[in-house]
Amino acid sequence: MAWNEPGKDQDPWSGGPKKGDGPPDLDEIWKQFRQRFGRGGGKDGGAGPGGPGMGQRGVLLIVIAAAAVWGFSGFYTVDDAERAVILQFGKYHDTEGPGLHWRIPSPIQSVELVNVDSIRNVSDRATMLTQDENIVDVDIATQYKVGSPEDFLFKIREPDRTLHQALRSAVREVVGKADMDFILTEGRSEVEARTREILQEAVDSYSTGLLVTGVNLRDAQPPEQVQDAFADAIRAREDHQRLINEAQAYSNDVLPKARGGAARLVAEAEAYRERVVARAEGQASRFSALLTEYERAPQVTRKRLYLDAMETVLANSSKVIVDDEAGNQMLYLPLDQLIRQRSGLKTDVGGSSSKSGSDSSGTSGGDTSGSRIQDLRSRRRN
Amino acid sequence: MTGRQLIVLAVALGGLIILSGSVFTVDEREYAILFQFGEIRRADFEPGLHLKTPFVQNVRRFERRILTLDNQPERFLTREQKNVIVDFYAKWRIKDVGAFYRATQGQESIALSRLSDIIRKGLRSEFGKRTIEEAVSGERAQIMQMISLSANKQVDDLGIEVVDVRVQRIDLPGNVSESVYNRMRSERQEVAAEFRAEGAEAAERIRAEADRQREVVLANAYNQAEQTRGVGDAESTEIYAQAFDRNREFYSFYRSLEVYRNAISDSGDMLILQPEGELFQYFNPPSPR
Repeated sequence: MAWNEPGKDQDPWSGGPKKGDGPPDLDEIWKQFRQRFGRGGGKDGGAGPGGPGMGQRGVLLIVIAAAAVWGFSGFYTVDDAERAVILQFGKYHDTEGPGLHWRIPSPIQSVELVNVDSIRNVSDRATMLTQDENIVDVDIATQYKVGSPEDFLFKIREPDRTLHQALRSAVREVVGKADMDFILTEGRSEVEARTREILQEAVDSYSTGLLVTGVNLRDAQPPEQVQDAFADAIRAREDHQRLINEAQAYSNDVLPKARGGAARLVAEAEAYRERVVARAEGQASRFSALLTEYERAPQVTRKRLYLDAMETVLANSSKVIVDDEAGNQMLYLPLDQLIRQRSGLKTDVGGSSSKSGSDSSGTSGGDTSGSRIQDLRSRRRN
Repeated sequence: MTGRQLIVLAVALGGLIILSGSVFTVDEREYAILFQFGEIRRADFEPGLHLKTPFVQNVRRFERRILTLDNQPERFLTREQKNVIVDFYAKWRIKDVGAFYRATQGQESIALSRLSDIIRKGLRSEFGKRTIEEAVSGERAQIMQMISLSANKQVDDLGIEVVDVRVQRIDLPGNVSESVYNRMRSERQEVAAEFRAEGAEAAERIRAEADRQREVVLANAYNQAEQTRGVGDAESTEIYAQAFDRNREFYSFYRSLEVYRNAISDSGDMLILQPEGELFQYFNPPSPR
């Protein structure tokens, strides 16, 4: 029989003609519910609401409330940086993105949140062997994040620690294949690139679900024990340059000076030449002028020149005039004494020269006029 | 009513207990083995919900994910009879959980210890065939691959498989490291000495070249200067000659007078003269001639 058969207009929940107004009354509903299903149950089906009915209603309330709570627990939020992995009875069901979601609460479905955006960081610092059997001190860091939350959760136990182990292995593999000088100087970016390659390969082969975003060689140095020697080698390179620079400075100093000296030599020679030529010209013209005059009156000029010269000579020198005609006597001439006396007297202000008279004894005496002349000459010479 | 309700309740509870005993979940990360009275009934469950006989059958779970074996560093001898300290790790997983259980009663440590022995033996053999340089550098990857493969074959009966074996550290023992440091130091000292020596050599060359150029410049200048002086001398001589040649006799006379004047006019010069000659013409009292 259809529920809304014309004329009947009954609905089974009400059990009678529809009231049609107001919300359904819970008590009513329950009573009718019990009437319907309790009828087949037993003789007590018709019992009205009372103690037992109240209890049953309470239980029903509790059950409904529990169901509601349970249903409510199915809500969950996923942060912007996270993903939610849903398992149904332990089996992978779905992955949800950021926002508010609902799933069938446990034990049927469970949620696990994985942060996929935050960059994780792991590093390693140690000494390690290079290809040429040297030891270097390397500090390397890597940044990574979760690329596949499902793999991250399900495929490997301790994925973060695994990546750390793989980093240690990868960097040593790369360093072991390179020479120390290369690693310390121009090879840094290649070390980073190769390490990243090997690291990503390794963590992919374990399905860690992790994605390496960067590898960064923070430091590569010779080990502490040999740093002095290395520093000295660097200083040696600088010394090398410094020695060359100093020599260059010397060269830059010497050559211009040499050129200067050369120019001076040439200039001095030039000056000498000028001087000598000028002097020659001067003397020549002096002589020529004199010669011209001489040729006009040779005898007189000759005499005059001669006597002038003799005057000068005799006036300034020490003399002993010996008159031979007075007889062939032995003369005692203490020449060295005389010379000494003359030289000694020359230094005195009132130094005198002596002219011996025509007597044969050869004594020295003073002569004021001669000494005056001597004085003048010596002053001029000095 | 109450009685019936109690019966209903009891039935419901009993049903629940039976229900909970007859279903079990297997997580994505797990293997499950179904036992019946201690005997393995089934071991190939996929993740999800499964049925079992309550009370009679029970489930034990094992790790489905990849696991790590991480040992303490150990010494190995290379072909050159040198020691190296090696730290390795291995990635492995349970492949056949039934076989795994039968071999180890589900204890990971037993598998780990077996695996560790196998790998160490393999490493000993591989390192023993190679020099340090080959192990550290050239054939490092090969060693790891070979050990992975050979270990895999040997652990088949454990129901596990080896995913990867990698060497983390290959280091030299302390005293050997010391000698390496010494060698590095002396190498650097050599390099430093060479740098300095080369610098000194180059510097010396530059200085010597500068000195050489200086000598050349000065010598050339000296040469030129001498030539100039020579020219000056020649010119002046010519001028003198031209002038003095006009009257050689007068020149001799004139020049001689100058010599007398310049050379013999110091009080230190001692002349011993006889009063004769042109100068003393009038010196003696006039004789009655």
